Amino acid sequence: MNVWELAAEVMIFALAPLTWMAIRGDVRQRLVAFYMAGVVITLLLMLLTMAFNRMPMMDLALTLALMSFGGGIVFAHFLARYLK
Amino acid sequence: MKSISIDILLIVGVLITLLSVLGMWRMRDPYQRMHFISAPAALSAACFTAAIFLQDGLKPEAFKALLTTLVLIGMNTAVTHAAARALRISETKEWSPPPGEEVPIRADDEMVTAEQKQ
Repeated sequence: MNVWELAAEVMIFALAPLTWMAIRGDVRQRLVAFYMAGVVITLLLMLLTMAFNRMPMMDLALTLALMSFGGGIVFAHFLARYLK
Repeated sequence: MKSISIDILLIVGVLITLLSVLGMWRMRDPYQRMHFISAPAALSAACFTAAIFLQDGLKPEAFKALLTTLVLIGMNTAVTHAAARALRISETKEWSPPPGEEVPIRADDEMVTAEQKQ
């Protein structure tokens, strides 16, 4: 196990409180937990790319960062417009 | 020396992320929780990118990591503002303060209402 893999395995524990917030919180807390999960998983993909030495996987992290941006804007618009 | 620097950067990045998630978990309302997104999006991503540059040098994957970090930093500002705006609209039905709502103009000002502001 190299240091990148160890860092990725520790980072997975950061998803536990976010999952708890997404399950138990109201819709506003779920939205914030969703944003944070997008950032954490993007960082996790960067670490896993280095851990397994599969460099094309870095595209996944970049794609997820870009898609999280679009998804976040859409969810925020949906919350403001329909979930009053 | 290089491997020690990489280890330190990874430890700092992971610790910032874990502490931010725990801090977000402990806060009361979504407005407070949103502040904790910026630390991993900016600092942890910068630490990991620096570690990747140290490990691999000027390779394409390092520049992809740099681009990912820049996207995360830019995304965080826009999405956090959009989320805060959406949360306020979902609570008060509009973005601008209604008449009578107390709005601070500067940090050292007393609270004034929107009517007094006009």
